[in-house]
Amino acid sequence: MNYSQTLIDHFRNPRNAGMMRDPAGVGEDTFDGCGDLARFYLKVVDGRVSEVRFQTYGCGPTIAASSAGSELVAGRAVTDLLALTEKEVTAAVDGLPDERLHAAQVVAGALRAAARNYLTRRNASSAAGVRQHV
Amino acid sequence: MSRRVYLDHNASTPVHPEVVVAMLPYFGEHFGNPSSVHGFGREAREGLEIAREQISHFLRVGKEEVLFTSGGTESDNLAIKGVAWARGAGHIITSQIEHHAVLRTCQSLESQGFTVTYVPLDSDGLVDPADVRKAIRPDTILITIMHANSEVGTIQPVEAIGPIARERGIPFHVDAVQTFGKIPIDLDRFGIDLLSFSSHKIYGPKGVAGLYMRRGIRMVAVQHGGEHERRRRAGTENVPGIVGFGKAVEIRSREMDAEAVRLAALRNRLWTGVESRVQEVRLNGHPTRRLPGTLNMCFRHVESESIVLGLDLKGVGVSAGSACTSGNVEPSYVLVAMGVPLDWAMGSVRATLGRGNTDDDIDYVLEILPPLVERIRSLSPAAVS
Repeated sequence: MNYSQTLIDHFRNPRNAGMMRDPAGVGEDTFDGCGDLARFYLKVVDGRVSEVRFQTYGCGPTIAASSAGSELVAGRAVTDLLALTEKEVTAAVDGLPDERLHAAQVVAGALRAAARNYLTRRNASSAAGVRQHV
Repeated sequence: MSRRVYLDHNASTPVHPEVVVAMLPYFGEHFGNPSSVHGFGREAREGLEIAREQISHFLRVGKEEVLFTSGGTESDNLAIKGVAWARGAGHIITSQIEHHAVLRTCQSLESQGFTVTYVPLDSDGLVDPADVRKAIRPDTILITIMHANSEVGTIQPVEAIGPIARERGIPFHVDAVQTFGKIPIDLDRFGIDLLSFSSHKIYGPKGVAGLYMRRGIRMVAVQHGGEHERRRRAGTENVPGIVGFGKAVEIRSREMDAEAVRLAALRNRLWTGVESRVQEVRLNGHPTRRLPGTLNMCFRHVESESIVLGLDLKGVGVSAGSACTSGNVEPSYVLVAMGVPLDWAMGSVRATLGRGNTDDDIDYVLEILPPLVERIRSLSPAAVS
């Protein structure tokens, strides 16, 4: 299997790996075909991702895509992440072999889930805040 | 990348330099078609028959009982379909952990109306001969059980199954692709009627294999054409490959016993080294009835491919127990049949040693593998939670 140098570099030296205490949003996705699992944690400042962490169980490409995905979303508006595509993640590792496209799918899915989770939590807490002021 | 360590000898082996030397004249000087009557053909024929002699001598069988094919897969297909089609209908007994060349051939026969029993394995990967005996029916036409499984290396009790087959007059086929030239095979004592064996697992070239067919076994040809191989396998023989195969077998006959002892010691050192340095690792396969160079282990909470890639980046070639095709990773069917839990089975890694491996290789792997597993595990949510 031929992997890009970018992918190999992310696999060897994953960025932003590990869990996060008190994340503002957390989401995961799995790929049923192979049991790969990626989980992303977000911290958010002014609607933008200020810190990302990931934990991943999977093959080399899934680990690499998780690392590259974490760099891809740093600093971006959380609402943007709702539309994050696997294509963007694939591009972030300089391409994936066809048989490993699931790596980008699971990472994009987990990042979208983390963004949704953040927005749900935020809406819930602001709704609670509104009720308090009534 | 400077250092390279090959630990995938059950997949394929490098061709022995003496084998290359033996083959070379048959590409140029002795290029003839062995079926031709003229001198060019006779020279090629001579090479072919020397190889047949080397192999039949090694197996202690008659020359006419050995035929050449294009690979272990073809040998298995010919043995199983050849016997089945000669009878037209009936029941076949095999095991759940055969190579796909046997399993899928049996499945294809099922679609033609044959019936197949797939006997189970115990947790060490062993077939119980009593299960084979129980599976026999009045219409059983063939028993096919592999000698050793390529993934875990467990050596089946073929010496106990053969006599059961013999007692009932049922032909017994053994896929010995992983054992031929590595451990002794006594065809008479084991009661084997058909034996598939391959060249590239024992330092011969790819694209060549053999099938032993005991005299008197009723079979039909599977592919049709010329009169080659006594009309049992049509197609011009791969003369250079067969010559190399013969030479490889001759070399194995003098190296096999000492090499088995050496490889088992190296393999055991690798396992004890891994076991003492890595948490949550288990050995797959039978603790003692196992191919000398085969080590299959599972690392919990790690996916095998990530270890294979990590080792590959350090120049070490091993194979993953779970194979990913089109994003669909199946845990090894062999480990599943042995009852290995899924969270372990997904992390299976196979290291298979061969004649080029040294103590230094093992030291090197023991230096890089434990931190690699540690690092990949530290990324995994399963290991944390």
